[in-house]
Amino acid sequence: MPDIDPTDHEIADLGPKIKDVEDVQELEEMLALEKGGEDRVPVKTLIEDRIEKLSGEEETVDPSEVDLADQTVADIANLVREVDDGDVLRDMLEREKDGKDRKSAKEQIESRIDSVEGSDEDESEDLEYVPPEEKHPDLDHPTADKQWVHAIEDGVYEDMWVYCETQQGDLINVSKEMLGKARGLMDEYNEEYDADEQVIAVLIGDSVEELAEVCIAYGADVVVYLEDDRLSRFRHKSYTEIFCDMARGAGHPYGRADRPEEDWRDYDEPRYTVFPATNNGRDLSALVQGELDSGLASDCSDLFIESAMISNPAKTGRPGEKKEFDRILHMKRPDFSGFEYSTILCIDKPFREFHPQGASVIPGSFDLPDPDPEREGEIVEHEMPLDDEWFRVEVTDFDQLDSGVDLSGNDVVVALGRGIGDDPTEGIELGLDLVDQFEDADLGLSRGVITASYQFAGHVEQYVGMDRQIGESGQVVEPDVYIAAGISGAVQHKVGMDESDTIIAINTDPEADIVDFSDYFIEGDLFDVLPELTESLEKGELDVKALADGGNTTDD
Amino acid sequence: MTDDYEHYEAVVVGAGPGGAAAAATLANNGVETLVLERGVEAGSKNVSGGLIYAEQSAPYTIDGLFPNFREEATERPADEYYLHNVAGNKVKTVDMTDLHHTDTEWCDSVLRRRMDGWLEDRVHEMTRETGGGLLTEVRVNGLLREGGEIVGVTCDELDPIKADVIVAADGVNSELARDAGLMDWDEPDEWFQGVKAIVDMPEGAIEERFDIREDEGEAHLFSGDLFEGVRGGGLLYTNEDTLSIGTVFHLDSLVAEQAEPHELLDALLTHPLLAQWLGDDYEEIEYGAKLVPDSKKVAHPSPHEGRLMLVGDAAGQMQAQGPIIKGMNHAVTAGALAAEAFAQAQARGDESTAGELYEQKLRTEGVMDKLRPPQYELASVVGENERVTELGERVVNSPLGRAGLKVAEKTGVLERGFNSPFVMSIMPDTKLPYVTIPTALGEALGDRVTDENTIQPPDLADRIGDLTYDVGDPHIELVDNSFAASGDAVSACPVSATDFGGGCYRDEKVKTNGSEEHLVSLDTQPCVECGTCAIVADTDWDHPAGGKGVEFKQG
Ligand SMILES: Cc1cc2nc3c(=O)[nH]c(=O)nc-3n(C[C@H](O)[C@H](O)[C@H](O)COP(=O)(O)OP(=O)(O)OC[C@H]3O[C@@H](n4cnc5c(N)ncnc54)[C@H](O)[C@@H]3O)c2cc1C
Ligand SMILES: Cc1cc2nc3c(=O)[nH]c(=O)nc-3n(C[C@H](O)[C@H](O)[C@H](O)COP(=O)(O)OP(=O)(O)OC[C@H]3O[C@@H](n4cnc5c(N)ncnc54)[C@H](O)[C@@H]3O)c2cc1C
Ligand code: SF4
Repeated sequence: MPDIDPTDHEIADLGPKIKDVEDVQELEEMLALEKGGEDRVPVKTLIEDRIEKLSGEEETVDPSEVDLADQTVADIANLVREVDDGDVLRDMLEREKDGKDRKSAKEQIESRIDSVEGSDEDESEDLEYVPPEEKHPDLDHPTADKQWVHAIEDGVYEDMWVYCETQQGDLINVSKEMLGKARGLMDEYNEEYDADEQVIAVLIGDSVEELAEVCIAYGADVVVYLEDDRLSRFRHKSYTEIFCDMARGAGHPYGRADRPEEDWRDYDEPRYTVFPATNNGRDLSALVQGELDSGLASDCSDLFIESAMISNPAKTGRPGEKKEFDRILHMKRPDFSGFEYSTILCIDKPFREFHPQGASVIPGSFDLPDPDPEREGEIVEHEMPLDDEWFRVEVTDFDQLDSGVDLSGNDVVVALGRGIGDDPTEGIELGLDLVDQFEDADLGLSRGVITASYQFAGHVEQYVGMDRQIGESGQVVEPDVYIAAGISGAVQHKVGMDESDTIIAINTDPEADIVDFSDYFIEGDLFDVLPELTESLEKGELDVKALADGGNTTDD
Repeated sequence: MTDDYEHYEAVVVGAGPGGAAAAATLANNGVETLVLERGVEAGSKNVSGGLIYAEQSAPYTIDGLFPNFREEATERPADEYYLHNVAGNKVKTVDMTDLHHTDTEWCDSVLRRRMDGWLEDRVHEMTRETGGGLLTEVRVNGLLREGGEIVGVTCDELDPIKADVIVAADGVNSELARDAGLMDWDEPDEWFQGVKAIVDMPEGAIEERFDIREDEGEAHLFSGDLFEGVRGGGLLYTNEDTLSIGTVFHLDSLVAEQAEPHELLDALLTHPLLAQWLGDDYEEIEYGAKLVPDSKKVAHPSPHEGRLMLVGDAAGQMQAQGPIIKGMNHAVTAGALAAEAFAQAQARGDESTAGELYEQKLRTEGVMDKLRPPQYELASVVGENERVTELGERVVNSPLGRAGLKVAEKTGVLERGFNSPFVMSIMPDTKLPYVTIPTALGEALGDRVTDENTIQPPDLADRIGDLTYDVGDPHIELVDNSFAASGDAVSACPVSATDFGGGCYRDEKVKTNGSEEHLVSLDTQPCVECGTCAIVADTDWDHPAGGKGVEFKQG
């Protein structure tokens, strides 16, 4: 008796169930039951298809004989993976050319030929280093300013360094996300390679020492920091110089001559570096990786460490040869607006080392870890002379970029809707006047106002933008008092404000939906009601707070 | 660089009935086929009234291509077919079952999300076997050309894709047909606008209220004076446990009368005649709308260009035969014929002849004659002449005309006329057949309906609120926001209305330096992507990116 008796089930439920049955015998029994029972054609077809599929799978296909025209490109890709004999593969290639001649199918077969035969090709002698200017005499001194290449030979590389960006005296979230990720990666790394490498947090700024403990709580083993008043704002010259000086160990051929030895480290450069893909992080990551003469995978969304089998002759040094590189940071980044991903590897090549392997990471790609205040770590103040030259550019003034208006923290929100349509500018002015009556209040808008063709006079225009929209596609607010003037209360607006403690609606239409979920409704023209409200608040006749607390109500 | 583009033998754009039929037939012929669909699932963007026909004379039918289609993807058969001619509370019902069954192998009601979603699974299986497959949430945004020749498609979400043949089954407002210069979106009189509500029915209510069994169904059509003189009519089809109730109007008439589509739908829903079916509790599950091409005017006689072939609504292949609407079946036939043409051309080693071959097949298989009946072209010259219409109206409304109707009924001429495919195919696009005659019929011959209809359809804000949207960037741009250029959209857009601030198009008077301008503003968030404003307003009209915009759960 099979687990599933098809006659007990509706056709729609059976589809997925049958797909899970792996046993042909069981399916045969089910088929018999159906035939003897309800005998539904679609059910029989479903079961028969499944039987056919399973029996088909068991058949083994002989690559040297199979008719390639019956195989999909994916089938062929699977098929060739099993074949190690170049002659069989070449024969398959011919058959494909005579048959369907699919480009993608041929590529699959050819690449398999390359990988089975590549390594047998003539053993070339050991490579010899030829400087680029000799190798390419036809080019106009291709490396004339070679002096800035600061890659090292036979370098020692260790640890994962994380640049921890701060804003307004705090670590930004992506810094914590990167620390959490680095912690996980290095724990696995140490296990896999039986090593003892660490997560190093880098803090540069004006008063950043106090953040060192936070970095440790989020996963750092060592925090290297440098503080200076002049570093209160990010400037790429000084920040790059400092980061690179920190990164290069004592005795580094291109480092500072008097760079002392340090107890906590014994290597030339970091193995891995990770930066945030923020404006400043992108700037710094490119400069640092350039200065250290390595590469950079920018805007990554995932990182993992694995070995990689590489056949690119530029990396292996010998055409046709495959070489395994271990401890490779795989840096995944979205392409085609996230539809596809590329994985970037930064690998040494003959006569040229590509370290640190560096990435910048899109904020939000990794989970924000829970801090562990018990964690212990080492805090190292980095000392170095700061050259005045690095601060030639003076920051005389700066503006906090308008990251939008945050309406969520206010006690009172005055929101205006399309009821202001008769005179939009005056409507906004009246709303702002009312806002001014409260200590902690701001102006919100319905989407209807923002998407209108209203023309606003210059002095109020700045108040009309998506950043003040309340609702489903805007902000969600829960103030003590929400005053909605000329807003109909569409459900998409409602979801942004109906958790407010007290809702006061002003509307000419007593049937408007908003009346249904308001605590107080003032029927009237907002151009009259708003100034009245403002006036009575000014005179102290009305206490909106008291209203909110359920005190006396005024008339309408 | 361009050689790096992914290549498939065939790319099919759109997974409605036309695209599904094309892809299945291509796959059956061993052609490597990729299908691109912009919705989160096939059907999530589609609305139809809901009767899919399998014609005896058609070379392909949907169940022929997809076995078990009727058992698994449709709602109920449409066994009986009635036309109700309404004049106030009086209704004259004409049985049109004969016409409905003429050349009909079978006809079932469908809901598009369920139907297209079912087709999607089959199409994906079939095309995967060829080395292709079906991808959803990909919007094709244009044709890829090389040296002026069409060689593939470009998408919002993917790199360009090359193909030996491109089947544009992207429905009404086909961006590919526009890009190729084969179709334009200029004339309102070439289109209908369809609006539909899906109404929930309590268990057993359909059987009881229509007096049918679980495996039976009915179709009811409505015309006469319930639509403010707008040319068109209403429909009601039974589904498994819901009703599809909708209206289809000539777009030019809708615009001319400044009518509000949702109000016209409400006029139907609240008519006393519907009380017997709707009962007292009205629960609307979904409100949707879509433009419908009028094949008599826009079916492209040569719907191909280089490697591109248009099928279904994209080619204007939507036949309105009086009240009978046949779009899905023709899309199926055309899709399969286009695929067949390509497979044959490929076998003969000259793919460039595929388009010609497809065109030829449309003619020899009789599809073109159904879409553009030769007799209509003749009749319309007379029938749409204004003076003739006026005369006709006067005759019908005269006492003599009324007497004639009675005679016609007695002698059976009336039913015969309504059941004649010939008469139905030459109906002129004037008020005469849509409004004047049905109203006169209702008045002269109708029975008074005494039921009281107490239902209250939801208002527009609630209808919009019940829909599911994944908000994306605005996909329609107002090129000219003056009321003169784009104001027609305020009423014609099915989710906008005069004096309604929550719609896509809003009518606004804006004061600037003392003078007042009459403008419209546009917010595409409530848009149901019907395509109306592409034609009646001055816009730059595109579909939203893959997966964005409205998502129909019923269709
Ligand atoms: C209210 C109403 C009632 C109707 N009643 C009937 C009826 O009773 N019987 C009948 O036979 N017909 C009816 N029709 C007409 C019928 O719906 C159409 O003729 C039919 O759906 C056309 O099929 P199609 O495959 O050509 O296009 P569609 O079904 O419209 O399919 C097009 C597909 O292409 C996709 N698409 C569009 N653009 C792109 C792009 N750029 N990239 C990727 N994908 C894209 C869409 O998402 C969609 O899935 C009715 C229509 C309406 C609106
Ligand atoms: C997917 C989607 C997402 C959306 N997201 C949001 C969102 O996040 N936020 C949002 O707000 N909307 C959103 N909307 C739009 C929403 O549906 C409504 O269209 C919008 O909230 C209407 O704005 P309104 O109330 O200002 O305008 P209307 O609906 O036009 O209401 C105006 C009101 O003002 C009253 N009135 C007119 N004159 C006066 C006067 N002189 N004095 C007093 N009252 C007057 C009228 O009676 C009316 O009630 C979304 C819509 C969709 C489809
Ligand atoms: S905005 Fe245009 S496309 Fe969208 S629903 Fe309205 S008329 Fe249709």
